[in-house]
Amino acid sequence: MKGFLLFLLTGILFALLQTSVLPLFFLPNWRPNLILILILYLGLSENLSRALIAALLLGAIQDSFCGATLGLYVSVYVVIILVTRLLSGQLNVESPPLLLLLIAGGTLLQNLLVGFYLTVFAETASVLHILLSAIPLQLISNMFFATILLFLLLRFQRLFGYRSGLAGLMYQSKHHGS
Amino acid sequence: MRELLERYRFLLLAIALLLATVLLYSYNLRQKTATTFFERAVLTFATPFQVGIDGTTDTITASWKNYLWLVDARQRNIELGQENLELRAQLQQVQEIALQNKRLRKLLAFVDDLDHSALPAQVIGEDGSNWARTIIIDKGTRSGLHAGFPVVAAAGVVGRIIKTAPDSSRVLLITDASSAIAALIQRTRTRGVARGQGNNLSIEYALRDAEIQVGDLLVTSGMGGVFPKGLPLGLVESVTKDQFGLFQQITATPTNDFSYLEEVMVIVGEDR
Repeated sequence: MKGFLLFLLTGILFALLQTSVLPLFFLPNWRPNLILILILYLGLSENLSRALIAALLLGAIQDSFCGATLGLYVSVYVVIILVTRLLSGQLNVESPPLLLLLIAGGTLLQNLLVGFYLTVFAETASVLHILLSAIPLQLISNMFFATILLFLLLRFQRLFGYRSGLAGLMYQSKHHGS
Repeated sequence: MRELLERYRFLLLAIALLLATVLLYSYNLRQKTATTFFERAVLTFATPFQVGIDGTTDTITASWKNYLWLVDARQRNIELGQENLELRAQLQQVQEIALQNKRLRKLLAFVDDLDHSALPAQVIGEDGSNWARTIIIDKGTRSGLHAGFPVVAAAGVVGRIIKTAPDSSRVLLITDASSAIAALIQRTRTRGVARGQGNNLSIEYALRDAEIQVGDLLVTSGMGGVFPKGLPLGLVESVTKDQFGLFQQITATPTNDFSYLEEVMVIVGEDR
Protein backbone atom coordinates (compact mmCIF):
# COMPACT_ATOMS: atom_id res chain seq x y z
CA MET A 1 0.00 0.00 0.00
CA LYS A 2 2.85 2.35 0.92
CA GLY A 3 4.50 1.67 -2.41
CA PHE A 4 1.21 2.27 -4.23
CA LEU A 5 0.69 5.65 -2.50
CA LEU A 6 4.27 6.54 -3.36
CA PHE A 7 3.47 5.80 -7.00
CA LEU A 8 0.46 8.14 -6.83
CA LEU A 9 2.61 10.88 -5.32
CA THR A 10 5.14 10.24 -8.08
CA GLY A 11 2.29 10.69 -10.59
CA ILE A 12 1.41 14.09 -9.08
CA LEU A 13 5.08 15.05 -9.14
CA PHE A 14 5.26 14.00 -12.81
CA ALA A 15 2.19 16.12 -13.60
CA LEU A 16 3.85 19.15 -11.98
CA LEU A 17 7.10 18.43 -13.83
CA GLN A 18 5.25 18.14 -17.14
CA THR A 19 3.48 21.47 -16.68
CA SER A 20 6.09 23.60 -14.92
CA VAL A 21 9.62 22.31 -15.46
CA LEU A 22 9.78 20.38 -18.75
CA PRO A 23 8.27 23.30 -20.77
CA LEU A 24 11.36 25.31 -19.81
CA PHE A 25 13.64 22.85 -21.61
CA PHE A 26 11.55 21.07 -24.26
CA LEU A 27 9.26 22.13 -27.07
CA PRO A 28 5.76 20.55 -26.83
CA ASN A 29 6.56 17.73 -29.29
CA TRP A 30 9.72 16.76 -27.41
CA ARG A 31 8.08 16.69 -23.98
CA PRO A 32 7.78 13.12 -22.66
CA ASN A 33 4.54 11.87 -21.15
CA LEU A 34 5.91 10.76 -17.79
CA ILE A 35 2.48 9.77 -16.49
CA LEU A 36 2.00 7.37 -19.41
CA ILE A 37 5.32 5.69 -18.56
CA LEU A 38 4.17 5.37 -14.95
CA ILE A 39 0.80 3.95 -16.03
CA LEU A 40 2.48 1.32 -18.22
CA TYR A 41 4.81 0.40 -15.40
CA LEU A 42 1.88 0.10 -12.96
CA GLY A 43 -0.03 -1.97 -15.52
CA LEU A 44 2.80 -4.48 -15.52
CA SER A 45 3.73 -4.47 -11.86
CA GLU A 46 0.56 -3.86 -9.80
CA ASN A 47 -2.52 -6.07 -9.52
CA LEU A 48 -5.42 -5.18 -11.80
CA SER A 49 -7.64 -3.37 -9.30
CA ARG A 50 -4.80 -1.19 -8.02
CA ALA A 51 -3.60 -0.47 -11.53
CA LEU A 52 -7.13 0.56 -12.57
CA ILE A 53 -7.55 2.83 -9.54
CA ALA A 54 -4.20 4.41 -10.37
CA ALA A 55 -5.26 4.83 -14.01
CA LEU A 56 -8.49 6.58 -12.96
CA LEU A 57 -6.73 8.91 -10.52
CA LEU A 58 -3.69 9.69 -12.64
CA GLY A 59 -5.88 10.11 -15.73
CA ALA A 60 -8.07 12.62 -13.88
CA ILE A 61 -4.98 14.47 -12.65
CA GLN A 62 -3.59 14.63 -16.19
CA ASP A 63 -6.99 15.78 -17.48
CA SER A 64 -6.88 18.63 -14.97
CA PHE A 65 -3.64 19.84 -16.57
CA CYS A 66 -4.40 19.06 -20.24
CA GLY A 67 -6.90 20.17 -22.82
CA ALA A 68 -10.36 21.26 -21.81
CA THR A 69 -12.31 18.17 -20.78
CA LEU A 70 -12.15 15.93 -17.74
CA GLY A 71 -12.45 12.25 -18.67
CA LEU A 72 -10.29 11.98 -21.79
CA TYR A 73 -7.12 10.64 -20.17
CA VAL A 74 -9.18 8.74 -17.56
CA SER A 75 -10.68 6.68 -20.37
CA VAL A 76 -7.44 6.43 -22.38
CA TYR A 77 -5.44 5.16 -19.39
CA VAL A 78 -8.11 2.60 -18.44
CA VAL A 79 -7.87 1.17 -21.97
CA ILE A 80 -4.07 1.18 -21.79
CA ILE A 81 -4.09 -0.67 -18.45
CA LEU A 82 -6.51 -3.29 -19.80
CA VAL A 83 -4.47 -3.81 -22.99
CA THR A 84 -1.25 -3.99 -20.95
CA ARG A 85 -2.80 -6.67 -18.73
CA LEU A 86 -3.88 -8.69 -21.74
CA LEU A 87 -0.43 -8.44 -23.30
CA SER A 88 1.66 -8.96 -20.19
CA GLY A 89 0.50 -12.57 -19.90
CA GLN A 90 1.67 -13.31 -23.43
CA LEU A 91 5.00 -11.49 -23.43
CA ASN A 92 8.29 -11.88 -21.71
CA VAL A 93 8.20 -8.58 -19.87
CA GLU A 94 11.43 -9.37 -18.01
CA SER A 95 13.33 -8.36 -21.09
CA PRO A 96 14.34 -4.65 -20.88
CA PRO A 97 14.27 -4.08 -24.68
CA LEU A 98 10.77 -5.51 -24.78
CA LEU A 99 9.73 -3.20 -21.97
CA LEU A 100 10.95 -0.26 -24.03
CA LEU A 101 9.02 -1.59 -27.00
CA LEU A 102 5.94 -1.71 -24.76
CA ILE A 103 6.54 1.96 -23.95
CA ALA A 104 6.67 2.67 -27.68
CA GLY A 105 3.47 0.65 -28.21
CA GLY A 106 1.80 2.47 -25.30
CA THR A 107 2.77 5.84 -26.78
CA LEU A 108 1.27 4.88 -30.14
CA LEU A 109 -1.88 3.49 -28.52
CA GLN A 110 -2.30 6.61 -26.40
CA ASN A 111 -2.01 8.89 -29.45
CA LEU A 112 -4.42 6.68 -31.37
CA LEU A 113 -6.99 6.77 -28.57
CA VAL A 114 -6.64 10.52 -27.94
CA GLY A 115 -7.05 11.12 -31.68
CA PHE A 116 -10.07 8.82 -31.79
CA TYR A 117 -11.80 10.41 -28.80
CA LEU A 118 -11.14 13.96 -29.95
CA THR A 119 -12.29 13.25 -33.50
CA VAL A 120 -15.37 11.20 -32.66
CA PHE A 121 -16.60 12.84 -29.47
CA ALA A 122 -15.19 16.37 -29.47
CA GLU A 123 -15.17 16.88 -33.27
CA THR A 124 -11.75 18.50 -33.27
CA ALA A 125 -10.37 16.57 -36.22
CA SER A 126 -7.57 19.08 -36.77
CA VAL A 127 -5.91 17.70 -33.66
CA LEU A 128 -4.97 14.61 -35.71
CA HIS A 129 -2.47 16.67 -37.67
CA ILE A 130 -0.86 17.87 -34.40
CA LEU A 131 -0.81 14.36 -32.94
CA LEU A 132 0.62 12.68 -36.04
CA SER A 133 3.43 15.19 -36.44
CA ALA A 134 4.34 14.78 -32.75
CA ILE A 135 4.43 10.96 -32.67
CA PRO A 136 8.03 10.33 -33.85
CA LEU A 137 9.51 12.90 -31.47
CA GLN A 138 7.37 11.71 -28.59
CA LEU A 139 8.36 8.11 -29.21
CA ILE A 140 12.04 9.00 -28.93
CA SER A 141 11.43 11.21 -25.91
CA ASN A 142 9.25 8.68 -24.04
CA MET A 143 11.69 5.82 -24.65
CA PHE A 144 14.65 7.93 -23.56
CA PHE A 145 12.93 9.04 -20.36
CA ALA A 146 11.59 5.52 -19.72
CA THR A 147 15.19 4.24 -19.81
CA ILE A 148 16.24 6.89 -17.28
CA LEU A 149 13.23 6.20 -15.04
CA LEU A 150 13.81 2.44 -15.16
CA PHE A 151 17.42 2.99 -14.19
CA LEU A 152 16.34 5.25 -11.30
CA LEU A 153 13.68 2.77 -10.22
CA LEU A 154 16.24 0.00 -9.99
CA ARG A 155 18.41 2.29 -7.87
CA PHE A 156 15.57 3.23 -5.52
CA GLN A 157 13.75 -0.08 -5.64
CA ARG A 158 13.86 -0.50 -1.87
CA LEU A 159 11.69 2.60 -1.46
CA PHE A 160 8.96 1.49 -3.85
CA GLY A 161 8.88 -2.14 -2.77
CA TYR A 162 10.20 -5.11 -4.72
CA ARG A 163 8.23 -6.32 -7.69
CA SER A 164 8.52 -9.47 -9.68
CA GLY A 165 8.06 -10.10 -13.36
CA LEU A 166 9.50 -6.83 -14.58
CA ALA A 167 12.51 -5.96 -16.62
CA GLY A 168 15.65 -6.21 -14.54
CA LEU A 169 13.66 -6.58 -11.33
CA MET A 170 12.87 -10.27 -11.40
CA TYR A 171 16.06 -11.56 -9.86
CA GLN A 172 15.78 -9.13 -6.98
CA SER A 173 12.14 -9.87 -6.29
CA LYS A 174 10.81 -11.40 -3.10
CA HIS A 175 10.19 -14.64 -4.98
CA HIS A 176 13.83 -14.95 -5.80
CA GLY A 177 15.32 -13.39 -2.70
CA SER A 178 16.72 -9.88 -2.53
CA MET B 1 -25.66 -16.80 -13.92
CA ARG B 2 -23.16 -16.36 -11.12
CA GLU B 3 -20.79 -18.72 -12.85
CA LEU B 4 -21.14 -16.72 -16.04
CA LEU B 5 -20.38 -13.51 -14.17
CA GLU B 6 -17.36 -15.16 -12.55
CA ARG B 7 -16.08 -16.45 -15.87
CA TYR B 8 -16.37 -13.16 -17.73
CA ARG B 9 -15.48 -10.96 -14.78
CA PHE B 10 -12.51 -9.29 -16.50
CA LEU B 11 -14.43 -8.65 -19.72
CA LEU B 12 -17.46 -7.27 -17.90
CA LEU B 13 -15.30 -5.07 -15.69
CA ALA B 14 -13.45 -3.79 -18.74
CA ILE B 15 -16.67 -2.98 -20.60
CA ALA B 16 -18.28 -1.34 -17.56
CA LEU B 17 -15.20 0.81 -16.90
CA LEU B 18 -14.85 1.79 -20.53
CA LEU B 19 -18.50 2.79 -20.75
CA ALA B 20 -18.30 4.72 -17.49
CA THR B 21 -15.20 6.66 -18.56
CA VAL B 22 -16.56 7.40 -22.02
CA LEU B 23 -19.80 8.63 -20.44
CA LEU B 24 -17.82 10.80 -18.02
CA TYR B 25 -15.88 12.27 -20.96
CA SER B 26 -19.04 12.86 -23.04
CA TYR B 27 -20.80 14.48 -20.09
CA ASN B 28 -17.85 16.80 -19.45
CA LEU B 29 -17.68 17.72 -23.14
CA ARG B 30 -21.08 19.34 -22.71
CA GLN B 31 -19.92 21.15 -19.56
CA LYS B 32 -16.78 22.56 -21.17
CA THR B 33 -16.57 25.85 -19.29
CA ALA B 34 -17.67 24.42 -15.95
CA THR B 35 -14.77 23.64 -13.65
CA THR B 36 -15.48 20.41 -11.77
CA PHE B 37 -14.73 20.04 -8.09
CA PHE B 38 -11.92 17.62 -8.89
CA GLU B 39 -10.30 19.99 -11.41
CA ARG B 40 -10.62 22.92 -8.99
CA ALA B 41 -9.08 20.82 -6.22
CA VAL B 42 -6.15 19.73 -8.42
CA LEU B 43 -5.54 23.28 -9.66
CA THR B 44 -5.76 24.66 -6.11
CA PHE B 45 -3.41 21.99 -4.82
CA ALA B 46 -0.97 22.48 -7.69
CA THR B 47 -0.87 26.31 -7.69
CA PRO B 48 1.52 26.80 -4.73
CA PHE B 49 3.83 24.13 -6.18
CA GLN B 50 3.73 25.69 -9.64
CA VAL B 51 4.33 29.17 -8.21
CA GLY B 52 7.17 27.68 -6.13
CA ILE B 53 8.68 25.84 -9.10
CA ASP B 54 8.34 28.97 -11.24
CA GLY B 55 10.05 31.05 -8.52
CA THR B 56 12.77 28.45 -8.01
CA THR B 57 13.56 28.20 -11.71
CA ASP B 58 13.65 32.00 -11.90
CA THR B 59 16.09 32.07 -8.97
CA ILE B 60 18.24 29.30 -10.48
CA THR B 61 18.24 31.03 -13.87
CA ALA B 62 19.12 34.33 -12.22
CA SER B 63 21.91 32.67 -10.19
CA TRP B 64 23.22 31.00 -13.33
CA LYS B 65 23.17 34.27 -15.22
CA ASN B 66 24.43 36.40 -12.36
CA TYR B 67 26.99 34.18 -10.76
CA LEU B 68 27.79 30.76 -12.14
CA TRP B 69 28.82 31.76 -15.61
CA LEU B 70 30.98 34.43 -14.07
CA VAL B 71 33.03 31.93 -12.03
CA ASP B 72 35.61 31.57 -14.79
CA ALA B 73 35.74 35.29 -15.28
CA ARG B 74 36.25 35.81 -11.57
CA GLN B 75 39.13 33.34 -11.56
CA ARG B 76 40.73 35.15 -14.47
CA ASN B 77 40.05 38.56 -13.02
CA ILE B 78 40.46 37.83 -9.33
CA GLU B 79 41.57 41.41 -8.69
CA LEU B 80 38.07 42.65 -9.47
CA GLY B 81 36.95 41.02 -6.24
CA GLN B 82 33.65 40.47 -4.56
CA GLU B 83 32.49 44.04 -4.90
CA ASN B 84 32.71 43.95 -8.65
CA LEU B 85 30.82 40.64 -8.71
CA GLU B 86 28.05 41.98 -6.55
CA LEU B 87 27.78 45.06 -8.71
CA ARG B 88 27.53 42.91 -11.79
CA ALA B 89 24.87 40.78 -10.13
CA GLN B 90 22.95 43.90 -9.17
CA LEU B 91 23.34 45.22 -12.68
CA GLN B 92 21.97 41.97 -14.07
CA GLN B 93 19.05 42.21 -11.70
CA VAL B 94 18.43 45.81 -12.71
CA GLN B 95 18.60 44.79 -16.37
CA GLU B 96 16.15 41.96 -15.71
CA ILE B 97 13.81 44.37 -13.93
CA ALA B 98 14.24 46.91 -16.72
CA LEU B 99 13.36 44.25 -19.30
CA GLN B 100 10.35 43.17 -17.29
CA ASN B 101 9.37 46.82 -16.90
CA LYS B 102 9.65 47.29 -20.66
CA ARG B 103 7.49 44.23 -21.30
CA LEU B 104 4.89 45.35 -18.77
CA ARG B 105 4.84 48.90 -20.19
CA LYS B 106 4.29 47.47 -23.64
CA LEU B 107 1.53 45.29 -22.25
CA LEU B 108 -0.06 48.24 -20.42
CA ALA B 109 0.17 50.43 -23.51
CA PHE B 110 -1.56 47.67 -25.46
CA VAL B 111 -4.31 47.40 -22.86
CA ASP B 112 -4.62 51.22 -22.70
CA ASP B 113 -5.26 51.23 -26.42
CA LEU B 114 -7.96 48.65 -25.87
CA ASP B 115 -10.03 50.91 -23.63
CA HIS B 116 -10.85 47.94 -21.41
CA SER B 117 -9.83 47.33 -17.82
CA ALA B 118 -7.42 44.45 -17.50
CA LEU B 119 -5.69 42.42 -14.82
CA PRO B 120 -2.03 41.44 -15.17
CA ALA B 121 -1.13 37.80 -14.56
CA GLN B 122 1.99 35.66 -14.59
CA VAL B 123 2.26 32.43 -16.60
CA ILE B 124 3.07 29.64 -14.11
CA GLY B 125 2.53 26.49 -16.15
CA GLU B 126 1.89 24.96 -19.54
CA ASP B 127 -0.21 22.11 -20.84
CA GLY B 128 0.73 18.61 -19.72
CA SER B 129 0.26 17.11 -23.19
CA ASN B 130 1.85 17.69 -26.56
CA TRP B 131 -1.36 18.15 -28.52
CA ALA B 132 -3.36 20.63 -26.42
CA ARG B 133 -2.27 24.25 -26.12
CA THR B 134 -3.16 25.70 -22.72
CA ILE B 135 -1.30 27.70 -20.09
CA ILE B 136 -1.86 28.24 -16.37
CA ILE B 137 -1.87 31.76 -14.93
CA ASP B 138 -1.53 32.84 -11.31
CA LYS B 139 -4.90 34.62 -11.00
CA GLY B 140 -8.27 33.00 -10.40
CA THR B 141 -11.73 33.53 -9.00
CA ARG B 142 -10.30 35.34 -5.96
CA SER B 143 -9.16 38.07 -8.40
CA GLY B 144 -12.57 38.11 -10.06
CA LEU B 145 -11.73 35.93 -13.06
CA HIS B 146 -14.26 33.60 -14.69
CA ALA B 147 -14.36 31.19 -17.60
CA GLY B 148 -14.65 32.99 -20.91
CA PHE B 149 -12.55 36.06 -20.04
CA PRO B 150 -10.21 36.99 -22.92
CA VAL B 151 -6.45 36.97 -22.32
CA VAL B 152 -4.03 39.16 -24.29
CA ALA B 153 -0.31 39.92 -24.42
CA ALA B 154 1.58 42.85 -25.93
CA ALA B 155 1.59 41.35 -29.43
CA GLY B 156 -2.07 40.33 -29.52
CA VAL B 157 -4.62 37.75 -28.42
CA VAL B 158 -3.42 34.86 -26.24
CA GLY B 159 -6.69 32.98 -25.70
CA ARG B 160 -9.54 32.72 -23.23
CA ILE B 161 -9.97 31.33 -19.73
CA ILE B 162 -11.58 27.89 -19.66
CA LYS B 163 -11.11 26.71 -16.06
CA THR B 164 -10.77 28.65 -12.84
CA ALA B 165 -9.60 27.89 -9.32
CA PRO B 166 -9.31 30.40 -6.44
CA ASP B 167 -5.71 31.36 -7.28
CA SER B 168 -5.11 30.07 -10.79
CA SER B 169 -6.80 29.70 -14.15
CA ARG B 170 -6.29 27.67 -17.32
CA VAL B 171 -6.19 29.57 -20.58
CA LEU B 172 -7.02 27.93 -23.91
CA LEU B 173 -4.55 29.36 -26.42
CA ILE B 174 -5.74 30.45 -29.85
CA THR B 175 -3.47 27.78 -31.36
CA ASP B 176 -5.33 24.91 -29.65
CA ALA B 177 -7.22 22.69 -32.07
CA SER B 178 -10.49 23.30 -30.21
CA SER B 179 -10.15 27.08 -30.38
CA ALA B 180 -12.14 28.97 -33.02
CA ILE B 181 -12.36 32.77 -33.08
CA ALA B 182 -14.39 35.04 -35.34
CA ALA B 183 -11.76 36.99 -37.26
CA LEU B 184 -11.27 39.35 -40.18
CA ILE B 185 -8.41 40.37 -42.43
CA GLN B 186 -7.71 43.98 -41.45
CA ARG B 187 -6.91 45.27 -44.95
CA THR B 188 -9.69 43.62 -46.95
CA ARG B 189 -12.24 43.24 -44.11
CA THR B 190 -12.76 39.61 -45.19
CA ARG B 191 -14.45 37.62 -42.47
CA GLY B 192 -13.49 34.12 -41.41
CA VAL B 193 -12.94 31.82 -38.45
CA ALA B 194 -9.41 31.50 -37.05
CA ARG B 195 -8.93 27.91 -35.91
CA GLY B 196 -5.91 26.66 -33.97
CA GLN B 197 -3.54 24.22 -35.65
CA GLY B 198 -1.03 23.59 -32.88
CA ASN B 199 1.63 26.13 -33.84
CA ASN B 200 -0.29 28.32 -36.27
CA LEU B 201 -3.81 29.24 -37.32
CA SER B 202 -6.00 28.34 -40.27
CA ILE B 203 -8.60 30.80 -41.47
CA GLU B 204 -11.75 29.04 -42.50
CA TYR B 205 -14.70 30.35 -44.51
CA ALA B 206 -12.77 33.25 -46.10
CA LEU B 207 -14.51 33.93 -49.41
CA ARG B 208 -12.60 32.95 -52.53
CA ASP B 209 -13.06 36.36 -54.22
CA ALA B 210 -11.25 38.30 -51.47
CA GLU B 211 -7.73 39.41 -52.48
CA ILE B 212 -5.79 38.34 -49.39
CA GLN B 213 -2.02 38.66 -49.44
CA VAL B 214 0.79 37.11 -47.44
CA GLY B 215 1.63 39.43 -44.55
CA ASP B 216 -1.93 40.77 -44.09
CA LEU B 217 -2.89 41.27 -40.46
CA LEU B 218 -5.61 39.05 -39.01
CA VAL B 219 -7.63 40.65 -36.20
CA THR B 220 -10.60 39.68 -34.04
CA SER B 221 -13.95 40.66 -35.55
CA GLY B 222 -15.72 41.01 -32.21
CA MET B 223 -18.54 38.79 -33.51
CA GLY B 224 -18.16 35.96 -31.04
CA GLY B 225 -18.80 38.24 -28.08
CA VAL B 226 -15.70 37.01 -26.24
CA PHE B 227 -12.91 39.15 -27.71
CA PRO B 228 -13.15 42.90 -28.30
CA LYS B 229 -12.95 43.92 -31.96
CA GLY B 230 -9.62 44.66 -33.65
CA LEU B 231 -7.15 42.69 -31.49
CA PRO B 232 -4.23 41.26 -33.53
CA LEU B 233 -4.36 37.48 -33.96
CA GLY B 234 -1.75 36.70 -36.58
CA LEU B 235 -0.11 37.47 -39.91
CA VAL B 236 -1.17 35.66 -43.07
CA GLU B 237 1.49 33.11 -43.96
CA SER B 238 0.04 31.40 -47.04
CA VAL B 239 -2.97 31.71 -49.33
CA THR B 240 -4.16 28.82 -51.52
CA LYS B 241 -7.08 28.95 -53.95
CA ASP B 242 -8.30 25.63 -55.28
CA GLN B 243 -9.84 25.39 -58.72
CA PHE B 244 -13.26 24.87 -57.22
CA GLY B 245 -14.90 25.74 -53.93
CA LEU B 246 -16.38 28.78 -52.28
CA PHE B 247 -13.54 29.48 -49.91
CA GLN B 248 -9.77 29.89 -50.01
CA GLN B 249 -7.33 28.15 -47.69
CA ILE B 250 -5.33 30.52 -45.53
CA THR B 251 -2.80 29.90 -42.78
CA ALA B 252 -1.52 32.53 -40.38
CA THR B 253 1.30 32.79 -37.86
CA PRO B 254 0.17 34.05 -34.43
CA THR B 255 1.51 37.50 -33.53
CA ASN B 256 2.41 36.20 -30.07
CA ASP B 257 5.28 33.78 -29.57
CA PHE B 258 3.67 31.43 -27.06
CA SER B 259 6.92 29.70 -26.15
CA TYR B 260 8.19 32.92 -24.54
CA LEU B 261 5.04 34.08 -22.81
CA GLU B 262 5.73 35.33 -19.27
CA GLU B 263 3.15 38.00 -18.47
CA VAL B 264 -0.36 38.36 -19.82
CA MET B 265 -3.37 40.62 -19.28
CA VAL B 266 -6.86 39.31 -18.61
CA ILE B 267 -9.53 41.66 -19.95
CA VAL B 268 -12.00 41.85 -17.11
CA GLY B 269 -14.17 44.88 -17.87
CA GLU B 270 -16.43 46.42 -20.45
CA ASP B 271 -15.46 49.49 -22.51
CA ARG B 272 -14.11 52.28 -20.28
